Amino acid sequence: MFTDYLFSISRYAVLFLSVVLLIRNLRSLLSGKAEPETWAYLRVGEENVPIQHWESLIGRTRSADLRLFGEGISPIHAVLKRTDKGRWFVYDVFSKGGVWVNGKAVPVSGTNLQHGDTVNFGGSCVRFLNLSTEQRQRNEQKRTGAGVRVNPVVSLAELTMLQLFLLLQHSFSARQADMTSIALAFATLVVLEWCVYEAMRLLDRTGFELELLAFYLTTLGLSVAASAVPEDLYKQILLIVASVFLFLFSGWWMSNLKRTNAMRIPVGILALALLALNILTSDKINGAKSWLEFGGYSFQPSELVKVFYIYVGAATLDALYMKRNLYSFILYSAACVSALALIGDFGTALVFFTTFLVISFMRSGSLATVLLAVTGAVLAGLLAMTVRPYIARRFAVWGHVWDDVYGAGYQQTRSISATASGGLIGKGAGAGWLRGIAASDTDMVFAYICEEQGLIIGLCMIFSVILMALFAVKCAKNGRSAYFSIAACATAALMLVQLALNVFGTLDLLPFTGVTFPFVSRGGSSLLSCWMLLAYLKAADNRRGASFAVDPVNRIMTWEEEHGVEVVSWGEEQAAAGKKKSL
Amino acid sequence: MKKISRRSLSVLLIAALVLTGMFWFIREEYRHGRKWAMYFSMFNPEAEGELLDRNGVMLAAFGKEAHVYAKDWPTRVANYHVTGDYVGMTGTGLLTHFWGSASDYDFLYGIKNEKSGSLSLSIDAEANTYAYRLLSQYGKGCVLVMDYKTGEMICLVSCPSVDPAYPEEELEDGAYVNRALTATYTPGSTFKLVTSAAAIENVPDLESMTFRCSGELDIAGVKITCMEAHGTQTFEQALANSCNCAFAYLTYMHVGQRLMVQYATDYGFLTGHTIDGLYTSAGNYPTEFVGDPELAWSGIGQSTDQVCPFSMLRYVAAIANDGLLAEPTFLKGGSAGKTASLLNASTAKRLQELMRNNVTSHYEEEVDFAALPFCAKTGTAETGLGTSHSWFTGFLQDEEHPYAFVAVIEEGGFGLWAAGLLINKLFQHMIHSGTV
Repeated sequence: MFTDYLFSISRYAVLFLSVVLLIRNLRSLLSGKAEPETWAYLRVGEENVPIQHWESLIGRTRSADLRLFGEGISPIHAVLKRTDKGRWFVYDVFSKGGVWVNGKAVPVSGTNLQHGDTVNFGGSCVRFLNLSTEQRQRNEQKRTGAGVRVNPVVSLAELTMLQLFLLLQHSFSARQADMTSIALAFATLVVLEWCVYEAMRLLDRTGFELELLAFYLTTLGLSVAASAVPEDLYKQILLIVASVFLFLFSGWWMSNLKRTNAMRIPVGILALALLALNILTSDKINGAKSWLEFGGYSFQPSELVKVFYIYVGAATLDALYMKRNLYSFILYSAACVSALALIGDFGTALVFFTTFLVISFMRSGSLATVLLAVTGAVLAGLLAMTVRPYIARRFAVWGHVWDDVYGAGYQQTRSISATASGGLIGKGAGAGWLRGIAASDTDMVFAYICEEQGLIIGLCMIFSVILMALFAVKCAKNGRSAYFSIAACATAALMLVQLALNVFGTLDLLPFTGVTFPFVSRGGSSLLSCWMLLAYLKAADNRRGASFAVDPVNRIMTWEEEHGVEVVSWGEEQAAAGKKKSL
Repeated sequence: MKKISRRSLSVLLIAALVLTGMFWFIREEYRHGRKWAMYFSMFNPEAEGELLDRNGVMLAAFGKEAHVYAKDWPTRVANYHVTGDYVGMTGTGLLTHFWGSASDYDFLYGIKNEKSGSLSLSIDAEANTYAYRLLSQYGKGCVLVMDYKTGEMICLVSCPSVDPAYPEEELEDGAYVNRALTATYTPGSTFKLVTSAAAIENVPDLESMTFRCSGELDIAGVKITCMEAHGTQTFEQALANSCNCAFAYLTYMHVGQRLMVQYATDYGFLTGHTIDGLYTSAGNYPTEFVGDPELAWSGIGQSTDQVCPFSMLRYVAAIANDGLLAEPTFLKGGSAGKTASLLNASTAKRLQELMRNNVTSHYEEEVDFAALPFCAKTGTAETGLGTSHSWFTGFLQDEEHPYAFVAVIEEGGFGLWAAGLLINKLFQHMIHSGTV
C-alpha cells in the first residue's frame, strides 16, 4: 500500500517537475525583447547609426541593415563585416555606384576599415567609427544577462529532483539485478549536468536553458533505455558522456567563425566520404543499409552527416551577396539526398530535404527555388516508390493501419494503442507493454514515453524542441553573423521535422519512416548528432554571457589592441575636435 | 541580416505545423482513445483473470506475475484455436479478445484494471481434446459442435495445432490457421442440402418426380457420373443415395443459377460472419453465367463452390432448430435467446426428415450409431488432385442433446468413412461420458 503511494507520488512529481521546468525555461528564453549589440557606428550626416551585427547589408532596400538614401546608392550596395578578431571590412556587392574607402576603390576581396575612415557609397560619404573595447563593455553592461530572470541553479535542481523521482519509479519495476546499473546511470547523468553547469559558471557563462532542455530530453531517453535494455545501460551512459563532450567541443569550434568558415569544404568532403563508405560497405538492416559496424557499436553515418550538412550549408552574409547563386549548394544537397536514397534511408532523406529547403530559403529568399526543389523532390519520391516497394507499402498503409494490425500496420497500431493506454498521467517507468515490441525504444519512442509517462510528458518533449526552435528564431533577429543564424534555424527545422516524422509516423498522421526523436530515441549516433547540433543553437545565443560558443565582448582582443594601435574613440575625438564635423 | 531574420520565420511555420498535428492527434485520442487503448488491452500487464471451459477447467490465466495456459499438453493443443495466445499469433483467439475486457479506459488515466475475474466458455475442453485426438489420426481438418437451441459452441478444433506454451517448437504448415472459422473447402455433396432447399421451395411437383440414374448424365458433352447406377429414385431416395445425376439435372433443369445464387446468399454461404467479434471466412458460388454443365457441377458442390465449415454449421443448426438460428457464441449460457430466421420452418422440417432418412436408409447400414438419432449428410468433395475432402454434417434430433455438427477431414476420402466415423465416435464419447 505504502509503495503504491510512493509510486503514484513519483509519477505525479515527474509530471509536475516537467511542466515547471518547461515553463521556467520558456520564461528564461523567450520573455523580454531581444537586445541588440552595438559594434561600431556609421556617421551619416548628423546622425550616428549603430552597427548591430558582425555582418550588415548597406543599401537603399527596406531589408538593408543600414539604410542609406543617397543618390548613387543601389538597393543592395555593400556588406560591412567584422571578423571575430575585431577587424572590419567593407565589400562592394555589385553595386552600380561602387564603394571607395578614403578615395580608393574597394576590390572584390574587400577593404579593411579603420576608425575614422571615410567610406564613399556611390557618391554618398559616411564615416566609419569603431568602438573601443571599454565602450563596448559599457554598452554590453546595459544588456540583460542570460540566466538573470530565471535562476539556472534552481532549474537544474528541479531537473535533478525529476531524475531522482524517475529513478524511484524504476526501482518499483526493474529487476533487482538491473537496479545497480540503472542507479549508476542516473547518478552519472546528474553528476555530468552539474559538472557542465559549474564549468560554464567558471567561464562566466550563465545561459544554461538549452542545455537544460537537452538534458531533460536525454533523461527521458535514459529512462526508456533503463526499462527497455537495462543490460545495455552502461553503453548508453557512455554515449551520453561522449555526446556532451562532443557538444562542448563543437561549441568551442564554432566560437571561431574564421576557422569554422575555412573548414567548410573539407567538412563537406568528409560528409560525402562517410556516405560513400556507408553505401559501399554495409549490409541491409530492415530494408535500409544505414549502419556501419565497428567494435560492437553500430553507427549510422547519416546522423553525423546531418551535422556536417548544416555546417556546409550555412554561410556568412558577404558570401551570400558576393556569390548569389545556390547551384553548388543544390548540387551538394542532391548528392547527399541521393546517397541517402541509395542507402534506402527514406526518413533521413526527407529530414535532409526539409533542412535543405530551410537553408536555401534563408540563403536566397527565393520561393521559386524552393517550389522548384519541392516539385523535383516529389518526382524523385514517386520514382523511389516505384523502385523500392517497401516505401510504397509504407505509403499504402498510411491512414489505414487498423486494417492490417498484424501486417503493415503492426508498429503503428501498437504505438497508437499504447499512447492511449498511458492516458495523460502514464503507467510509470517500466510498467508499459510497448517495450516488448521491436524498435519501440527508437522509432516508436514517443508512444513509449506516452505509455509510461503519459501524454502530458509526451507533449513536454515536443514543446522542449519547439522551444529550442522559437529561441533560434528569436536569436536570428540580433544574430552576429548570418552563418550562426542560418545554422541555428536549420538545426531548429531539422529537429522539428525529425520530431514530426517520428511522432506523427508512429501515430499514423504521416507515413511511418523510422526516424529518431531528437535526444530521446535510444541509439548512439542519433544522440551524438543531436548534442552536436545543439552547439549551433548555442553559437546563435548572443545574450550577454550566455553561451560558451560565443566570445563575450569583454574578452575580445581587438585588432587595434593586438597591434598596439592606440584607439581614439568616437566620443573623445569629438571632444578634441571641439565641434561636430559634418560629412 | 534583417532579411535573414525575416526568413528565419519559416521555422515558425514548421513549428506551427507540428503543433497543429499534435492538437489534431489529441482531439483524435479524445474521441477514439477508448477504442485504441482497448484494442490491445490484453497487453495490459496489470490485468488479471482466467479463461475457463464450461466445466471449470482452466484454459488460460493471466495476472501481474505470469501468463499461463492449461497445465496439460493435450488440453493446450486441442483448445489452441479457441483460446489463441497472449501474443496474438492467431487472429481468432478468444484470449486476446476477452483478456481485454478485464481492463477499462478513461482519457485521464488511460487503461485501468477494473474488472478482474474469470470468464466461462461454452467449450467443453475435454470433448475438444478427444476430438483433436481423433482428428489428428486422420490428418488435417476441423470439427465443430454447437448447441442449436442456445447457440453455445461445444467443440471447436482445428488440426494441426500449436502448443501456445512452447510456440518455438517446430510447427506443421498452417498450424496457426483456424480451419473451422477461417478456411474454406469444396463442399461436395453436403451442398446438396442447399440445392434441396431451393428445389423444395421452387419445384412444385418435386415430391412426385422420379429421377432415373444410369450412372452418368451427359450435359452438352460434359459427363456427370455417379459411383453406381442408382436406377429410378424419388427425390428423397436421390438425396439418400447422394445421386449426382439427379441433383445435377435438378439444378440446371429446374432450379437454375439465379435461384441457386439467391439461396447460397440467403443461407449465408457467400459472406463472412462474426462470432463474439471473431471474423469467419466468406465462401464462394459461381455468380457469373457459367453454362449448363458448370451449373450442374455447382449444384452438387463441385465447380468453384467453396464453403467455410462455420457457415455450414450455421445452416445445419438452423435446419435442426426449425429454421431459426440461435446466434453462435463461445460464452457459457449461450446467446440469450438471440435468434434469426435463416430458412422457412416447413423447408427446415422437410430437410430434417430427409436428413434423418439419409441415416436410417443408408448410413446406419455401414456405421453403428448406437441408437443416437443422427440426421446428417455426407460429402466427398473432389479436390481435383485425385483426392477428396471428407465431410460429415448434421445434427442430433434429441431434446437433451441438441447438437449440430460439422467435420471436415482434408483428403480424408469418403465422407461417411472418415468424417462420419469421427463424429460418431466423438458423440458416443461425449454423451456416454456425460460431460455435456
